[in-house]
Amino acid sequence: MTDLAFLGIADAADLIRARKLSPVEYVEALLDRIGRLDSRYHAFIRLTPDLALAAARRAEKEIAGGNWRGPLHGIPTGLKDIIDCAGVPTTAHSKVLAQNVAATDAAVTQRLKSAGAILMGKLATHEFAIGGPSFDLPWPPAVNPWGGNHFPGGSSSGCGVALAAGMLPAALGTDTGGSVRNPASMCAITGMKPTYGRVSRRGVLPLAYSLDHVGPMTRTVRDNAALLQALAGHDPDDPGSANVPVPQYAADLERGVKGLKLGLVRHFYAEDMQAHPEQAQAIDRAAEVLRGLGAEVREIRLAPLQDYATCTRIIIRCEAFAIHRRWLAERPGDYGQLARQRILDGAAVSAADYIDAQRLRGRLTRRTLEMFAGLDAALTASSLDPACRIDDADACARLYPRQARQPFNVTGQPAMAIPAGFTKDGLPLSLQLVGHPWQEAMLYRIAQAYERATGWTERHPPNVSPA
Amino acid sequence: MATDNDILLQTAATAGLMSLNQAHLAQLKRAMESARELSDKLPKDLHYSEEIAVTFRAPAAGDSTP
Repeated sequence: MTDLAFLGIADAADLIRARKLSPVEYVEALLDRIGRLDSRYHAFIRLTPDLALAAARRAEKEIAGGNWRGPLHGIPTGLKDIIDCAGVPTTAHSKVLAQNVAATDAAVTQRLKSAGAILMGKLATHEFAIGGPSFDLPWPPAVNPWGGNHFPGGSSSGCGVALAAGMLPAALGTDTGGSVRNPASMCAITGMKPTYGRVSRRGVLPLAYSLDHVGPMTRTVRDNAALLQALAGHDPDDPGSANVPVPQYAADLERGVKGLKLGLVRHFYAEDMQAHPEQAQAIDRAAEVLRGLGAEVREIRLAPLQDYATCTRIIIRCEAFAIHRRWLAERPGDYGQLARQRILDGAAVSAADYIDAQRLRGRLTRRTLEMFAGLDAALTASSLDPACRIDDADACARLYPRQARQPFNVTGQPAMAIPAGFTKDGLPLSLQLVGHPWQEAMLYRIAQAYERATGWTERHPPNVSPA
Repeated sequence: MATDNDILLQTAATAGLMSLNQAHLAQLKRAMESARELSDKLPKDLHYSEEIAVTFRAPAAGDSTP
């Protein structure tokens, strides 16, 4: 019997299309697994078994009738709980929105449904995608299946946990300052932040309009390409959406990296901030692996990490406060302590500083793209440390700013986090790949070559057997 | 002479936050300190010619929204 828990999208799609795997049995198996495991990991805020089983029966009937819609048909998926699904609450993991039932589907939910994907439920997040991990909310924070009681990264934490624990093969997260790539890094899965404007945000609760992205999260590179294929495309109802042609993301997956020119942004994790030694070594080793596969890797220098961080922090604070200020005025006690602090931070930033941060953003973007000239892509750190214990608030607070993801929310470039090994204690390490705008396919090509060479994605947490 | 608490209450009121309790005001105080630190970190040579925030455009004839 195939291990349905860790079956990927591509393999499941082949079995479903050949009618060797029933979408109903697949959904039932994962619902059973979630039921056994999730009291330990808290990946889900809400399961939607009735919706899932009804959709699975429809998919089964359509496929039996010769109407296979594509690689997501019959595939179980989950949504970070700031993404709307009609008739289902979107809580943002907050008491503030505990009763907020979505009237319509988000654009990405519509796209998943059109592709035949099956919604299994809504996944844990940091409160409003900014305040976590927190223990003063209506739902507990998601816990990393790697390690004993560790932080899974955030804010798309439930997505990372559900994938790593074999509860789902696909999930949608969001990334404003790194929130797809952080749980991908901490949970040894694959997370893509596409180019700004590539995937519609309509129907997604904003954190910061000018930095928000929706991104696919999967265990493997090939699955991620399949998921982005279904999500990408222009949406005139999202003012940030761009009308740029969508390529076939899997077309070049197996072309390898021979002859590609890659930049290594080493100063982010070796000078601007000192990464944990095992994390730094993992990235240096990854550069060697890619050289061994035929890529030319040379160090490049971008602006200091701290410049991007200042820019991002000011923009997030101001835009988030603008979104929340009426709720915060009326119901400040309904926010958790962390989210209230991070949103209140925006009340104290001047309008002039916000505009200066946007000017800085323009400057940083120009200079970053200049440094990418002549390169096919770049690699650097995502997280600078492996996961800490989730019940150690001080350690979580120290970890929060130690990352190299924000630069690419500032510039809007595509960036993905992939597994790059494990610490001697068995905690995931990661690598970030960064591309030219609209060149997600190049990142998938490089990531696929690295994944094949290393096999990191074939490892699963040792303690996730529900038996 | 205004006390720290007066300044906090005034800042909260300016931001439209009239329901903050003392614990929330303590958070606002930290926010003000942090905002000053962040402001100090911004480059001092940013120029209006580098502006990217202005994205408004007048709607074309027939468009309902800008």
